[in-house]
Amino acid sequence: MRVFSKLMVAHFKQFIREKAAIFWTFAFPIFFILIFGAVFGGGEDTTFPIGLVMEDDSAVAGQLNATIQNVSAFELHHGQRDDELGALEDGDRRAVLIINEGFGDSISQGDQGDIDIYYDPTQTTSQQVVLPIIYQVIDGFDRALGQAPSMIQVNEETLQAQDLRAIDYLVPGILAMAIMQLGIFAAAEIVSDRENRVLKRLGATPLRRSTMILSTIAFRLVVALCQAGIIILVARLAFDVPMLGNWAFLLGMVILGTLTFLAMGYMLSAFAKTERTAIPLLMSIQFPMMFLSGIFFPTEMMPGFMRPIMDAMPLTYLGDSLRQIMVESSALHSQLINFGVLSGWLLVCIIVAIRFFKWE
Amino acid sequence: MDKVIEVNGLRKSYGEIKAVSNISFSVAQGEIFGMLGPNGAGKTTTMEIVEGLRDADAGSVKVLGLNVKKHPRRVKSHIGVQLQATALYPRLTVREVLDLFGSFFPRHISADKLIKMAGLEDSRGKRCINLSGGQQQRLSVALSLVNNPRILFLDEPTTGLDPQSRRNIWRIIEAVRKAGKTVFLTTHYMEEAERLCDRVAIIDQGKIIATDRPDRLVSKHFEEQAIEFELDQHIGDDELGNVSGVTSALTEDGKTIIYSSAVPTTISALLELAHSKGTELSNLHVRRATLEDVFLKLTGRRIRE
Repeated sequence: MRVFSKLMVAHFKQFIREKAAIFWTFAFPIFFILIFGAVFGGGEDTTFPIGLVMEDDSAVAGQLNATIQNVSAFELHHGQRDDELGALEDGDRRAVLIINEGFGDSISQGDQGDIDIYYDPTQTTSQQVVLPIIYQVIDGFDRALGQAPSMIQVNEETLQAQDLRAIDYLVPGILAMAIMQLGIFAAAEIVSDRENRVLKRLGATPLRRSTMILSTIAFRLVVALCQAGIIILVARLAFDVPMLGNWAFLLGMVILGTLTFLAMGYMLSAFAKTERTAIPLLMSIQFPMMFLSGIFFPTEMMPGFMRPIMDAMPLTYLGDSLRQIMVESSALHSQLINFGVLSGWLLVCIIVAIRFFKWE
Repeated sequence: MDKVIEVNGLRKSYGEIKAVSNISFSVAQGEIFGMLGPNGAGKTTTMEIVEGLRDADAGSVKVLGLNVKKHPRRVKSHIGVQLQATALYPRLTVREVLDLFGSFFPRHISADKLIKMAGLEDSRGKRCINLSGGQQQRLSVALSLVNNPRILFLDEPTTGLDPQSRRNIWRIIEAVRKAGKTVFLTTHYMEEAERLCDRVAIIDQGKIIATDRPDRLVSKHFEEQAIEFELDQHIGDDELGNVSGVTSALTEDGKTIIYSSAVPTTISALLELAHSKGTELSNLHVRRATLEDVFLKLTGRRIRE
């Protein structure tokens, strides 16, 4: 145990003293999120798109319309109920206000007029910023009507966006990509350690090989978890990407994914003699995986003949699983299948690695 | 004296190539035993089999009375191993690496003590990647001493080092011997073998061709002295061999060595021969025979770096 912790500390020092490694592990995925986020929008908008459906043509409804139009934080879209709710579902509206038919009549008769607000509860900005503004505006308008008690009845309705924003889709994918790269590129280090006889030198001490391997795996798991934490945090702060699911489940999938791709790294390290030949090999594995696993864009966009390839890649399942957990996207595969395929890959990689791994 | 290493009938092939063919030797407690031979002679393979890092095809190896194959971890805890050119943990400091390696052994020498032994006081906080070649090699030797081993294995400890760094390593090895430890080293430097080793095994093409004290190896094979020179025009070795007092002659890369038991006679006869051929001798010098000459005589080739 003492040896194990000493090795962990050594890995840690080796890691934090290499700036390039830090960049690739932490800065690169964040970079990715920021750039994609900026390209696809979904950033912290200065104005919020709000849908307004006027089903009542009374004068008082017109006044409310004008008041809302004056809110500079809103980018107002007028439309029919179905169209605006559709836009909300597509993620193009932060909220939709519906001034119901009979709103003006009710008020003029001394009753409460009905307004419905639809919003997506998974979008924290909607809840924390947009709704309070709407309430403030309506409240102010209500008081200006000059009659107590309140003349306006607001009904809150929730409607979850079906289509995720691009950034919501992307972030779990980037997390999956980061895990994949961490695991696969571990192979480069293993090959270089073998090439530089580090493995042999360690083998000349009573240090057990199992301790050696376990400490490497444990260290990379820690890095993967830090990476996941940072990616989720940055995505949350910069683009309001939620983490809707169960944290324990997320943790479990991140660990399973890391182990699977680390096993793949160990397996691949058996097939390269030098670091120079290892890098192209790893690249030729990781690039197709990156682009065919639907981590950047939905796989439906891919031509059909590529389906079998996409369906074989473990990254497809890790990305799908993380996406389901984090943003509750519609499932490509059930989580049971995701878990099963990743575990299967893990097992196969371990078996092949044990069969072909060379210490020197 | 106790034999701490006993090797019998060792064989190892890589495909068609016989790296080690039937090697037997033993090393006594407290001696510095050297294996001298050119690159590819089988030195490293032999050493790594003895260390338990490689399996032999045939033969037996006992280290400290233990069968290496059966008790690899017990053997490893009593020996110190230095491999050729290892780059360990480039971003850890000298002190950190020594400390880490110490933790692999149940008992170990403190990092500070090792730093002093290896003369690395000024570099203790330096990262390994920033060490000079000589410092790296001293660290490598210090690492092999971390468990206070009874036997130290050094594989070409000074290859590629400048003369100053080489002498530094020699001093460390001599200090280790003084502490009563046994040292088994390989080298292709004659002077290193002559200066450090109590006994030398000359190895070529996977076979040991002679084993003895360095001075005895020389005196056994040479009563004569070596005369080295270069010629403007080639004179055949046969003709040179007929010069008075000459026992053998060898020309390689434009450099001629003749061995003579009557140096003054030989030199005047040699000058005469050169004169009659209309050629001139240059860079002529006379020296006593060395292990290099022994190797040359036994194999017909020089040991090259």
